[in-house]
This record gives sequence, structure tokens and C-alpha cells, in this order.
Amino acid sequence: MTDFDVVVIGAGNGGLTAAASLTKAGIKTLLLERHNIPGGCATTFCRGRFEFEVALHQLSGFGQADNPGPLRGFLSQFGIPDRCEFLDMENLYRLVLPGQLDITLPANREGTTRALVERFPDDKEGIEGFIDLIYRTFFEYAAVFYQRDPEASAEKYPLMTKYSLQPTEQVMNEYFQNPLIKAALGMYWGYSGVPLSQLPFIDYASLYFSYLQWKPGYVRHGSQAMSNALLEYILANGGQARFNCGAKRILVENGRVTGVETDHGEVITAKAVISNASSIDTYVELIGEEHVPEEQFKILGGQTVGPSSLTIFVGLDCEPQEVGITETTNFIISDPDTDKQFAAFSRLDTDDDYLLVSCYNLDDPQASPPGTSQVCIVDLKYAEPWLTLSPSEYLQAKFTAADGVLKRVEQVFPGFRDHIEEIEVGTPLTHMRYLNSPGGAIYGFDQYAKNSNFFVSPTSPIKGLALAGAWSGPGGFQPSLTSGGSAARAIKRYLQQLEEGK
Amino acid sequence: MSARQDIRQQLNGYQEIKKEMEICQKYGQDYRNQKGLKAAVIDRLHPRQLELTVSEIITENTNTKTLRLTAPGRTLPAFLPGQYLSVTVQIDGIRTSRPYSISSSPAQTAYYDLTIGRVKDGFISNYLLDEVKVGDTLITSGPLGHFYHNPLFHGKKLVFLAGGTGITPFMSMIRTFTDQNLDLDMLLLYGCRSVKDALFLTELTERAQRHPNFKFELVLSEPAPGDQGRTGFIDANLIKEVVDDIGGATFYICGPSAMQKFCTSQLESLGVRRRAIRREAFMAPGDVLEDPAWPQDKSAEQPVTITVQRPSGEVLTIETRVGEPVLTALEKAGLIVPSACRTGECSMCRVKMTAGEVFQPSSALVRQSDRLLGYIHSCRAYPLSDLTLVIQ
Repeated sequence: MTDFDVVVIGAGNGGLTAAASLTKAGIKTLLLERHNIPGGCATTFCRGRFEFEVALHQLSGFGQADNPGPLRGFLSQFGIPDRCEFLDMENLYRLVLPGQLDITLPANREGTTRALVERFPDDKEGIEGFIDLIYRTFFEYAAVFYQRDPEASAEKYPLMTKYSLQPTEQVMNEYFQNPLIKAALGMYWGYSGVPLSQLPFIDYASLYFSYLQWKPGYVRHGSQAMSNALLEYILANGGQARFNCGAKRILVENGRVTGVETDHGEVITAKAVISNASSIDTYVELIGEEHVPEEQFKILGGQTVGPSSLTIFVGLDCEPQEVGITETTNFIISDPDTDKQFAAFSRLDTDDDYLLVSCYNLDDPQASPPGTSQVCIVDLKYAEPWLTLSPSEYLQAKFTAADGVLKRVEQVFPGFRDHIEEIEVGTPLTHMRYLNSPGGAIYGFDQYAKNSNFFVSPTSPIKGLALAGAWSGPGGFQPSLTSGGSAARAIKRYLQQLEEGK
Repeated sequence: MSARQDIRQQLNGYQEIKKEMEICQKYGQDYRNQKGLKAAVIDRLHPRQLELTVSEIITENTNTKTLRLTAPGRTLPAFLPGQYLSVTVQIDGIRTSRPYSISSSPAQTAYYDLTIGRVKDGFISNYLLDEVKVGDTLITSGPLGHFYHNPLFHGKKLVFLAGGTGITPFMSMIRTFTDQNLDLDMLLLYGCRSVKDALFLTELTERAQRHPNFKFELVLSEPAPGDQGRTGFIDANLIKEVVDDIGGATFYICGPSAMQKFCTSQLESLGVRRRAIRREAFMAPGDVLEDPAWPQDKSAEQPVTITVQRPSGEVLTIETRVGEPVLTALEKAGLIVPSACRTGECSMCRVKMTAGEVFQPSSALVRQSDRLLGYIHSCRAYPLSDLTLVIQ
């Protein structure tokens, strides 16, 4: 008799949905979280009169009640659509390349096509053809991998076969050459962190299809509301949770999970564990190499730690329009080439960076008190250069980097700086501290094709262990939320086998 | 399944990527070599806890001492002048914590100074002043807090409004900025009862003589005969008189909550924007009774009962009173609840309330979704009725 059937380590998106799925199935579950609050990335924090969203910019795949996306379906099992208020965004984004391009794409196929054709009339045919390709390739992919067509073949699904693994830029080149069109149709590359020259077309097509089909979404009171609602569900369904209580070790005997030792030294026995810690931490720090097959370290070693971010949270003492912010989601770039944008991830300076500026008030007037605005600026960065700094250099570098970003923002939104009432800067090391993820990575490993679930299996060689979260598949809210469901399914099968004496 | 397996391998480019993956695995990293590195990086900047040794005790005046704290065997984390440490103490079996601003400069990393003034009936301050000896160990947090000069939007003209021991974060700022000869223009308005209550007077005078960009004025509320300095309180008239470019300055306030409220209203009456008023919450538990939103029919002495449900099924009953923060009552009952700022801002002491009613001053920054689900910041939540809490 074990203390629990399953211990879930970490109350991030994947850990929360894993624990929710298990408790729903009547499995005795304990959720451990080292912080005092659930959510991981999916959280908020308060400064002055502002409550800042930490990570959620545009929720994908959620959709509306009459046009539900897959994420809505998944979260419905836990009553989340009724427990939280979901809001739609009417536009994908505004992209500004000062002096060269300023375009806003509506969150639907017709609107986006029209906006692009209006700005680039000579490329009408190419733009329409390419957007059509996004849709047709995605539909083929969905038929094979979601609807699981038993008669799937390369002949039946030629577009998917041809394009899925091709770099997106190469596919774009078949339809248009103008670098500005590639930029305008490419800005979501940052949501995976892989530039268009390397981003597999199927990942690209899934992103754009999802946002065009179901619109980007947002949660009132921020992603913390969703994390809190998931915890409520877990507790109401007989699950237990402990906060301020991290896991020190996952206990393994003869290749099988037997429990968890907490940071406080308490041993909790369990038949299975779902780890929402990074896969590197799970195998290297929590399980320990003596229990892990060499092969697993080879699989990990073939992947590289993905980008983190310099994130700047700003409370403005004015309405967004006063500084010219008219869209929720804004990208600011200084060069249309996403390879150049990507190269800046590895530098400390922020002079040419690809910036995402989100202002939630445009779609949610309650995002901050009346007469103010909540803005979050994301500048994707790898942790490496930050790791070489001494502590005092680090504090200085944080201000210098943020200053560079604010200068760029000021250029597009004049007066922005003079309206700052609160500001908080998070660096890759800040994310490392709060997420406890290697490199402070926010999407897990770099999302190259070779790291996708096409090539790397998310299953674990340790019996009774499953992984949830961005490190076991793609990053971002939708994948990490659904990963908890997959991990729970794997563990339910395992418990079933145990019961049957296998 | 096999059909999908097949089609995966038929995707154009599959074999090339598979080969790439194999090469990467062969020549890739060995993450085992990084065991413990991340924890070390985090600990260097933001340790969960510090064990500090009291290396020296400096008497500042009859009611104030500076504890000089060193960390044998480790480097002290860097901090921004104005930040604080949360000091955890165990007194008579009660474990609790208090925040104290660091008064020394971060330019040297050998020690942190905490300057502690006696609070009337102060449980912790009396302990730190009377019981702690050189050589003792104090458990603290790493440096925390948001009360510092932020070059991103605070500008170069800084006006410090200090009340009593509220001088401590400003000492760190003044020491740092004058030592480093930063291009900042600083004015300190230091409110205290009389000259003998003014801390660091000699040092302030000397720094003002050496650094033309730093000036200070004492503002005495109960001057003794012969005291030199302005009299009264730090009010709009004084600020108007001594600050030449009010619109271009950032004001920092640290002192008792009555002083903070007063100074804030004075600055607002001068048209100072909210962004230019930075405050370090600095509150005694009893200050809440002066909050304008406090329900007037509630007496601080009224007894209330807090019922605590633990996940183990254990139920605790705690007798307390309306005027005592929930966190303090929990600590007195022997529960360990993490805490840091003790002014309601940092959310470390967040607990869930399933029944009852509390008063939380506006300084308690509770997330909106938390508020809707009954979470409270227990350090600044006062039980207006019997309460039921769930502490996971």
C-alpha cells in the first residue's frame, strides 16, 4: 500500500492538467509544488496597482463556444471554460519595421489575406496560394495525426508529405521573394523560437492555422485564473496538493518508480510519478544517473536548451492609445530577416532585437485599473551570455538591456517611457530561478525538427514515470497544457498493468 | 498505428533529419556534467536562505543598533541599495520574521548592515537589540524588495523623505551613490523627533560636505532646546521650498505608515504624479486601525477563533483577536508559514480562507483571481470574524 497512487512534481501547466486528469479518474494523487502558488509560467504578480501577466500572450487552439478549438475541448473536462472567462483577440498582430512596414493582420483567413494583398498587390497570387497551402497542409496533417486515418499514405496526403519537414522559408520562396512579406507572415516564429530558415513548415502551419481558425485568446485576470481553477478542480475531486514543497529525489528501485523524497526530507511512496520538471532535471537531478539507462542521456544530449527571455513588465499611467498602442499584440523588428533576429538571442545587447509588445487592455479593459495600461515586452534571449556575468555586472546588465528595449519601444510608441509607473525586468536568470528550468528556457529544448515528437519519443525508460510540460514535447501554453493529459493517460495505462500483475 | 509510422518515415526530409538527430546525439552534450550547476547559479544571486554571522554590533543611539552581518564560507549576494532582508527568528518557541532594510552599500560585499530601532513592545526588535550577541547566527532571506532607484524611469533628481528608522534604505542609497560619484542629485528630508533621535548625523553631514550633489535637512517634530534644524513635519510647503523642480524629481518615502500617508497626500497636492512617488511599506501591525477603510465598529481587542484545516485531516483551533494579523496568530500557534515583506505585497504568506471575513488594507496586493477564490495575504489580513483556513 503506497501513500499515493501518483505523485505529480510541479504545478505548471502540464503538472496541473496531469493531476486534474488523474483525480478525474479517481486516482489518488498528490501534487507537489516548490512555490507557494500554482501555475509555473502560468501566473501573475502584483506591483503597485498593477497585476502583471507573466507568460500568456495569445492562447492558441481555444476558440469560441460555437467554434471550439481542441484546447477548449480538453479543458472542458475540468470545467475550465465555465470557471474562467476567456476573451478573443480580433487581430493576430501588428508588425512594425520602422520606415519600411507597418501592417496589422486580422485573426481570420479572409482578413489576413486582404491586409497582405492590399499592402503587397503585386504578390496577390503568391500570398493567396501560400495561405491556401497553410490550410491544406494542416488539414492533411490533422486527418493523419488527429483523426488517425487508417488508410493514410503519402499518395493520399501529398502536401503533408512534401512540406511538413521542409523549412518554412524554403516553402515561402515558392510563393514570394519579398522579405517584407516573409516577415509579415512570419512573426509567430518567435512562439517556437526557431527562425523561418529552420522552422518545420508543419509547426509553422499549425501555429497560423490555429490562430486564424480559432483566434488568439486571453483569460480574464490572467493565466493565474486558469491555474487557480485547475487547482480548485484537483482539490474538489479528492486530489491533494502541497505548496512550498519541492521534490528532492524521485525514488527508483529495479527500474521502477517507488516514490518521491521531498525537499523537507519526507519520503512519500507512490506507484507512479509524473514529472513536470524539465527532462534534464528529472533524469540528472531527481532520479540520478545510476537509475537511468545510458541511452536516455544520449537522447537528452542530442537536444539543446531553448531560449529564455528578457521580459519587461510595464504599468503605464495612461490609456494605451495615448502612446499610440492600438493593438494587443505588436511585433517590432529592425530587420525582416528572422535569421538575424534569431542571432540576437545569443547577445546581451538589445539594439536590434525582435520584440513582442503585448498590451492586454485593448481586448480586456479590466487588464489594469481605469486610465492605465498593462504592457509586457518579450525579447527572447539565451541564458549563456548572462551566465558569464558577475553578480554586480548582472544587475547592471539587466538595466542596460532593458534600457535598449525601451528605446526601441519608444521609437514606435512615442511618450511610452514618460508614462511608466511600474516596471519589472526579468532576465533569463530570473526565469531560471522561478521556473527552475535549465537556461531559464521557456519552451523547453530548441524546437528544431529533430527534437520534435516525430523523432524523439516522449516516453520514459523508467517504469512508472511520465513527463509533462514543454520539455516532453513542443513549448507554449496549448502543448504544455495538453501534455499533462497525455502523461496521465500513460500513467493510467501503467497502473492498469500493475493491477493486472504485469 | 503502423500506417502512421510508415507515413512519418515517408515525409520528405525524414531520413536527413533522422541522420542529423543521430549525429547530434553522438556528439551532443552530456547533461550529467551540469548536475548542480543551475542550483549554484540561482543560489549565488537569489539564495533561498542565508546563514549570517553577527560580526559586530554598533550602537547608533540609545534605542538603535546596527548589526553587521557576514557570511562565512560564501559570497554575499549583490543587491540594489534600498532592498531589505527578511530576518527569521525563533523566540520562546515562536518562529516569525521581520523585514529590515540594508543600510550598508552594496559596493563592498563583505557584510550587510541592518540598523534596528526599538519598537515599543516590539517582539522582534527588542530581541535583536537586547539578546543577539556578536558571534550569533541569524537566518535571513536573500535581498528582496522593489524600493530602489530604477534608472529606467526615475530620472536623476531624487528626493528622499525619511521618518525615524526609515532612514535605513536611504543610507544605503546615499552611501552608494556618493561613493560612486554617480550623476544624481540627491536631497534627504529627514523627519525625527529631535536631533538626538537622528541617526547617522555625523556621516550625513560629512557626506553632504564632500559631495555637492547630496544635501539634507533635518525636520524635527519635537526639537529639544538648542536643536538645529527645521521644525514641524515634511509637508507641501517645505517640499515646495526646498525642491526646485518638483515635476522633474522622483520622491521616495520610507517611515511609519502615518508619515507615509501624510507625505503622499502632500506630494499629490503638489501635483506629483503617482509614478514619481515610491514608497517602502513600513508598518506596525497596529497601524491598521488608522486605515480610513477600517470598519469603525470593530475593536482590535475583540476575540475571534481561527480554524485551520490541514491536508492530513488535522484541525487546529486558534484563539486570537481582531487586531492581530492572521499570520501572527498562526505563528504563535506554532505553524510555519513562509513570509518575507510582512506588508502584504510579496504574497509569500498567501493562504486560503474558506469561511469568515478579513480586513486587508489596500497595501495588500492580492491577485484578482486569488481574491475571488478566498486567498488572503495573511501578514496583512485581520480577522473581522471567526475564520476557517485551509493550509496545504
